[in-house]
Parts: sequence; structure tokens; C-alpha cells
Amino acid sequence: MTTALVRTRAPSVGLALPRVEDDRLVRGDGCYVGDIHRPGQLHARIVRSQVAHANLLAVHVEEARAAPGVVTVVSGSDIPGLSEKRIPIRLSPGQLDRFALQTPLALDRVRYVGEPIAVVVAVDPYLAEDAAEAVWADVEELAPQLDPVPGHGAPLLFDMVPDNAVATFETAHGEDVDDLFRHADVLVHERFSVHRHSAAPMEPRGLLAEFDDDSGRLTVHGPTKVKHFNKRVLADLLELAPDRVLLVEPDVGGGFGPRGEFYPEDFLIPWLAVQLRRPVKWMEDRLENFVALNHSREQVIEVAMAARHDGTLLGFRSTGWCSLGAYVRTTGHTVPRLAGIHMPGPYPWRGFSTKFVSVLTNKTPLGTYRGPGEVEATFARERALDLVAAELGMDPPELRRRNLIRSDALPYRVDTGAGSEPLVYDSGDFPAALDQLLVAAEYEELRRSQAARRQDGEAVGIGVACFFDQGGIGPFEQARVVAEPDGTFTGYVGVSSIGQGVQTALAQILADELGVDVDRVRIDHRDTDSISDGTGAFASRTTSFGGSALILAARKLHEVARARGADVLGVNDGEVTVEGDEVVTGNGRSVALAALGCEAAATFESTHVDFSFGSAVAVVSVDRPTGKVTVERYLGHYDVGRAVNPLIVRGQLDGGAAQGLGGALLEDLAYDDQGQPLSTSFMDYMIPTLCELPTVQSSWSEHPSSGNLVGAKGAGEAGIIGTLAAVANAVADALAPDGVIVRSSPFTADRIRALLRGSDAPMSVQPSQVGAG
Amino acid sequence: MKPPPFRYARCATPADAVTLLSEAGEDAKVLAGGQSLVPLLNFRLARPALLVDVNPLEELAFVREEADGALCIGALFRQVALEATNLGARWQAITDAMPRVGHYPTRVRGTVGGSIAHADPAAELPLLCVGFGARFALVGPAGERSVEVDDFFLGPFTTAVAPDELLTRVSLDPPPDGAVSAFEEFSERHGDFALVSAFVGLALVDGRCSWCRVAIGGVGPTPTRVPDAERALADSGLADAELGIAADASARCCTTGGDVHCSAPTRRELVREVTLRALLRARGRLTDRMGSKA
Repeated sequence: MTTALVRTRAPSVGLALPRVEDDRLVRGDGCYVGDIHRPGQLHARIVRSQVAHANLLAVHVEEARAAPGVVTVVSGSDIPGLSEKRIPIRLSPGQLDRFALQTPLALDRVRYVGEPIAVVVAVDPYLAEDAAEAVWADVEELAPQLDPVPGHGAPLLFDMVPDNAVATFETAHGEDVDDLFRHADVLVHERFSVHRHSAAPMEPRGLLAEFDDDSGRLTVHGPTKVKHFNKRVLADLLELAPDRVLLVEPDVGGGFGPRGEFYPEDFLIPWLAVQLRRPVKWMEDRLENFVALNHSREQVIEVAMAARHDGTLLGFRSTGWCSLGAYVRTTGHTVPRLAGIHMPGPYPWRGFSTKFVSVLTNKTPLGTYRGPGEVEATFARERALDLVAAELGMDPPELRRRNLIRSDALPYRVDTGAGSEPLVYDSGDFPAALDQLLVAAEYEELRRSQAARRQDGEAVGIGVACFFDQGGIGPFEQARVVAEPDGTFTGYVGVSSIGQGVQTALAQILADELGVDVDRVRIDHRDTDSISDGTGAFASRTTSFGGSALILAARKLHEVARARGADVLGVNDGEVTVEGDEVVTGNGRSVALAALGCEAAATFESTHVDFSFGSAVAVVSVDRPTGKVTVERYLGHYDVGRAVNPLIVRGQLDGGAAQGLGGALLEDLAYDDQGQPLSTSFMDYMIPTLCELPTVQSSWSEHPSSGNLVGAKGAGEAGIIGTLAAVANAVADALAPDGVIVRSSPFTADRIRALLRGSDAPMSVQPSQVGAG
Repeated sequence: MKPPPFRYARCATPADAVTLLSEAGEDAKVLAGGQSLVPLLNFRLARPALLVDVNPLEELAFVREEADGALCIGALFRQVALEATNLGARWQAITDAMPRVGHYPTRVRGTVGGSIAHADPAAELPLLCVGFGARFALVGPAGERSVEVDDFFLGPFTTAVAPDELLTRVSLDPPPDGAVSAFEEFSERHGDFALVSAFVGLALVDGRCSWCRVAIGGVGPTPTRVPDAERALADSGLADAELGIAADASARCCTTGGDVHCSAPTRRELVREVTLRALLRARGRLTDRMGSKA
């Protein structure tokens, strides 16, 4: 009877189930770090540098210490051994990182506006902020270095980092690029720049740390994303045994990459809780968030690209400079490194070379943000492709169609030089996917309509972009599955929830593997005690890696259950099977897993990386007199491998596109020439509202990944990767009759007017500089 | 982003408010809708010692047309209420502008008097006052006085309201019979403060422009009339060329330099374009009226 039920149970993977998270969150029953209170808790306020670059001669805290309600005020000299407490990097190390790591408080130099120089702790957050105004610093100002492509003689941030170039990454593939250029019919060469912007999570960061004297344990509420890494770093910096540190993830209002990395505050607040033996809470406000949370995207990328008359792409060379900000943070050089990896895109180049440099600048440090480096590389490459198409007089999608790697060439392997892992594009049908998107967009009709509107004097443009989404980065993920006494199952995972629907999607995967209904499965990602290790929530990896680990753990759980069940039933292991929540014998005797008290843990390991194909179409109109760009339509088509929950997939793809459109059109972390940030509130950092967004049409295909047990590829970042490129190409197409070249984002009214006035003159670059050195 | 310490007092009558303001001297601020003041407190850009909450003064939440045709609006009238008020054709610039004043939730709390007294150079309501012409009733220790619009807006965030005075109502001057008005603005996002905004009022008698007003906002320390534009239109037939001359005059009036959102050259271009669009919109309304009367 049970057997029959199990066999007819429909799999839940693939169903658009409502997210189990949502009911609680939309009722206002979420528990964010700000909702957590502890008796006797104190409130911290970070005092931050007001100048971009200066020698820090002294930090005066005496007056603040005497202010009402203040418990302590700490500057860099008050923390023993601070000069050795440098926040380590987690990903993508570079050559000179050791000189440019950040200490949690500045010691003798400040290098960006917003750099922590002191912490005030008071009994009340208002009093803490009042007292923070009384902290002042003696500084000797230095000239700021703000240029991602610094000239000779630019101020140095660190004496040991010549030219502020802290790391360089190079790739080379195939035939000699100069040779390909010599035999090309068409050669384009341009310098593109992507402006600084980043995530703007609805909820800024927050931490609540408490030290329990009895157990000698430190508990920190608030870190999300990579909590096991953060736990190890914190234990190391505090010189505590790792098992004395517990990190707990509350609900969070948006991750997108920057949230949850190890920041200066992630040391300072726990350190204060240990010192003061009282709970210490810190809630980042929006002004801080704009200068403290990792920035992203700012890169200058030069491209020279060669093709034949028939559109056959031959080779390219690119040099990029990434404005890394003042310190190398935990995500190291992921942004410029991934930009290099994504420069070739889904095309079969006969040869290419890339060189990307991480350049220190007196700005907030730069880290990963949804689609890191991928957005920038896609923008530069796809813009250059449109320039090639224009030279050839070819329709831009046709140029791509003629060149996209054919499905019969998959898996397609790109060697990128000694010491680099080859890139492997393993599955999909790229030309078919592009055609599917163009059909959905009614591309031919769009062109007809464009021609008619141009006749009427309108500036209307259509932009296309193709790209890869790199998802599912290893090396491992852990899961532990417990058969609970009440008949439910709990899956503990090391991945984090930053709002992506982890509890729903992973429950679907686990339920199918266990052969039980999804509502009997619960996913727990909450802390570092319930599972010994994990890699975290980044690189679109939670579903593929977290899900694969759960599948392995569930299989192991069934093994354990068979052994125990056979024992209880008094038969041999081979005579029982697990059917849903029971161990059954051939003659119908059974025992519930709930009664067996079994659990199992497993680790999924893989070095496989998915490069999943995506393409996007943007239709824009430009109001020439005001310069206003309106995105009329935006369509994307993506290979998600396997859509575990189509509702979540759609939300991720649409949301990614919306976020990308905001970055393309509006959001700008601008600085003045003294390194003062100009966008420190939502009045100046303009995130789009529904009024500014078109209807986004996302669709997908499913070519399962061979690299994990779920078959899923990335979906969390896919939606954003092509936005900047597609919008840029559409704006360029709209303004083609005006004879302008689109090189720089964002596409604000002011920038468009400057283009039309001709004041965005091309940068003077000699071809010999491209890729030189 | 937490305000420095301040005291808080609610008042029961306008006289109450004046007493509280007088006692506090320069250090008091009137709290009406709070949609500009509270963010300023949180940014610590404003540091009043005392907030005088005038929200209990319900008698100041009204709108009425006076016998002479002036539109009289109480200072505590919520922006959302003005937006919902059915005004005649000559006040249509108000109907154009109100949905652009912040966002719906901020208009629910925001007041007409609060926005005017705050005097943001890019705000919509001060521009409407300058465009239509207006008188402001101020209550102080010596009683009530009336200030004309030309003497009211003194600079960015600065008005003729003395520290011990309360703005109680504004009377917009009545446009002549048959007049129309229009408002246009440009902002990157809906609900943002305008990069530039323009007000136009027009009336025609026998095919000649008998009354015209052109005013622009976001382009200098205060919203301002553009006399050159008005001269270009006066007694004209409102042909395209004349509208263009008026728009050019507006652009020349723009004295604001560049900022993070807009360079100076773009701002001048926007002033011209936004003025032109307001002119075209107003002229279109005149044409519609002629059509409906014929």
C-alpha cells in the first residue's frame, strides 16, 4: 500500500510552489538582526574618516568618552596587536595583497571616506551617535588617487605597491593575436568604461554579538552569505578556538553579493562584546551603507577586435583596469579576474589575450556584486561586436548568429594559458537559444516599427547581447539530514539564505530524494553549530551545491535507515527497502524512519564550473531634447539547467534584470575630485522604481548541468549579466543617426545630452597601448 | 542617521505655536508633515532645540476660492488633499504638479504650507506660488501680516517667515477669466525633486496674448519669473517662433551650475525644453477651450 503511494508521488522539483519563506515575511513576522534584543545590550556607532586620503596623526576620543551614556570609545591604538589583525581574502588572491589588506580600524593612514577610525559604545544608539560627533582626528591630507587608469606619478596608497597596481591577471588563447589582426578585414578598437555602482539592499547590515562567560562562547547574529568562513576568520582574529564561536543567520533584506562578507565591523562588534562582557549591537544606517558596503563594477576596458568580411570573428585583445578601492577585501580580485574570463564569451575565437589590472583608488573598496566582472566584460565585448557589425553593415544579431559556438562543438574547451584552468562550455544550444529569444521579441517586427518611428523623428534603438553566466563554483558543500521523531525531515545546509528561496527550492530537492511530501521537509541554514562546514551563498551555487549535498545526505540517510530498520525488524539489510518515511520488508512489515532516530551527513565536492548561455534584447527610446532614456521592453532567455522552482527562477531572472536596468540607467556611486562620495542617500543614488521599469520578459531553457546532481545551472545572476550591454547597444542603435559612439555608462539624461552635444570625446589611446606589456 | 536631541511641543492654537516659537528664539522649527524636516534631522543637517508640532491645528487644513477668485489654501492642508481637489481650468497647473510632489505616501503627510515654508529651490509648490503670484499670511507675536510672493522666497530654504512666525495660509492670485495654466518638470525618476520645472499661465483676447506668466524652478536660489519670456509672449499670437523665443529666454535665466545629477550645460538645455513643453501644453489648453466654446 505504502509502496503504491510512493510510486505515484509526483516529484516536487519543477513545480512552481509558493515560497515557504513568504507567508512569514509578508506578514511582518520576519526576524531581522534589528529585531533581536538582548538584556543589557549596548549600541555601537562607527566613526568614519571624512577625508579620502590622509596621514592619521591622532584620534581624539577623550571628549566622547565623557559624553552621556557612553561606555567606551575605542580607536586603533586601543586594540592590542591591531596592525597584525588584517582581514584576509576569501577568493581570488593577487600578487601584492599582503600590503593592501585592511585592519578593522585605521592605524596611521586613512584611504577612503568612510574608513572606520573609532567605535563609540553607549547605552542607547542615539547617545552613541551624539558622542561620535565628539570624536575628532588630526590628519595630514594627501592627494587622492581616484583614477582607475592612473598616470605616472599618481599618489600611491601603499609604498610597497608600485603604480597602485596590486594584481594583474592575464589570459591568452590560440593563435597570435597580432597575426590575426594583420589578416583581418575589419579591426575595431575602443575604450569602454563602466561606472561604479553596487547593491543597495533594502536592509542595511547589522550585528549583535554576545559573549557568554559560563560557556566561554561568543555568539554573533547577523552574518549571512559565508558564515563558516567568517567564523574561522573571527576566531582567528580574536584568538579564540573555532568551537567557541557561533554565527547565526537572521532574515536579511537583500544580499546581492556585498552583504555578509567579513568587514571591519565583523571584527569590531564581537571584539567589543568580548571585552565588555555585554551584548553589543550595531545597526548600519544608509549613509554608512553607501560608503561601507563593498562597491562594485567600476572598470575601464579597452578592446581591439578583428573579423572577416563575412562576419567571421578572428581574435581580440583587451586590457582592463578595475578601480579596486582602497584595500583588497575578502573577494580579492574576483571582479577583474572574472572580467578577463568572460571577455571571450560564447564565440569561437581563433586567438585572444586579456590583461586585467586591479588598481588601488581612494574610494570604498570594491567587491563582488551580482554578475561580478561578467556584466562589465559582456558590456565591453558586446559593444565591440556591435561596432564590428556596423563596420560590416551587418545586422547585430546576424553577426552573433554566424559566430556563436555550435551545439555539435560542445563541450567546447578554451585553454587560457599556463597556470590557468581551461574554460569548458559543456551544454546548451546557443544559436537556437538566441533565435528563440528573437522570435519571442518579434525582432523583425521591432525593426519595421523602428524604421517607421525613425521616419517620424523618434530615436528608437534595439540592442542585443549574448553572454555566459558562470555559476556553481565549488569546492564543496555540506548537508546533514535528520529524520525527526514527528515524522518530518530536517536538512541542515552550509549555504546561506539571502532571500533567494533556499528553504523552498532545497526542500523540493530533498523531498524528491527522500520520496516524501515537500511539506514534511524543512531546511535549516541558520547557524554554524548545526552543520560543521559550508562554502556559502555566492556565485549562483546554493541550489546546485546545496541541493547536491542534500541528495548525497538523503541517500546516506536511507542506507543508515535500511541498516537500523533491518535490525529492528529482525531481517537482513538486503531484505528491506526505504519507501518514503518507512523501512519496509518484502512481506509488508515496516518501521517508520521517525522511530529509528537516524541522521546522515554528506559532502558534495566538485571543481566543475557551469558556463550557461544567455541572451538579452532591449528596446529603448531616447527623448533627444532631454536625453531621457526609456527602456520600452526587455527580454532575456537563459539556460538555467534545471528550473527546480519556476516561480523562484522567474523572480530571480526578472529581479536581476530590473537591478541591472537600474545600474545601466540611474545608479551611480559618484565621487568628486577630492574623493568625497556624492551619492550617500537614496535621493542621490537613484534605484529604479516600478515607474522607471518596463515589463521584463524572462524565459529559459533547461540543458542540465553535468557538474552537479540537481542539473541546475546559475539563475540568480543570469538576469543581470546582459542588461548593461543590451541597453548600451540599444542606446547606441537609437542614436546611430546622430553619429555618436556609446562608450560609457550610465545612460542618464545628462550623459546622453553630453553625447549629443559631442562633449563625450573619444579618449585618445594609441593602438600600441592595447594589451601592451 | 538619528537626530541630535531636541524638545518637542504640541500646540493647540496658532497663538500657542507663536508663543512657543517666540520663547525658543532662533532654535525652534515648526513640524508640519515632517517629510523634509525629519530627514534633515536624521542627517543632522538641521539641529533645532525645539520642534513645535502644528498638526493639531485642524482649522488650517482647508482650501477655498475667495470672492475675488483667489485660491486660498490653509498651511496644514495635506498635499494629497490638494491633489484630490477639483479645481477649475485656470488652476490646472496645480493639477499637473501635485502628482509630482514626492510620492503618494509622502503627500499623505506632507502639507502645502510645509513645502512652501521649506522653500526647496526645486520644489513644485513654491514654483506654483511664484507662477500664479501669491500672498502669504504669517502670524507672529504682533498679530497677522501679509507678505507678497516677491518678498517671500529669499533664497534656498530661506523665506520671509521670521523665527517667531507661523505660516497659516497662502492665497494664489486669480488668473483672468478664460486663462489656462500648465506645469512641466524633468526628473530622472518619478517623484524625485525636479532637475528643472516650468510654470506657464496664458490668456488670449482676440487672438493676442493678454496675460502670460512664465516661471521656472530648480535653476537658481528660488523659483523665478522670466520677464524676458513674458515680454516675448505679451500681445503675441503665441506662434511657435514666439514660444521658442520665450523658451530661450528661460534658458538664459538658469544660473545654477552643475551637480552630481546634471551638468550646467544640460540644465540650460532642460530649462529650454521644459519651458517649451509647458508653453505648448498651455497653448494646447487654450486651443481646446476655444474649440469647446465655438
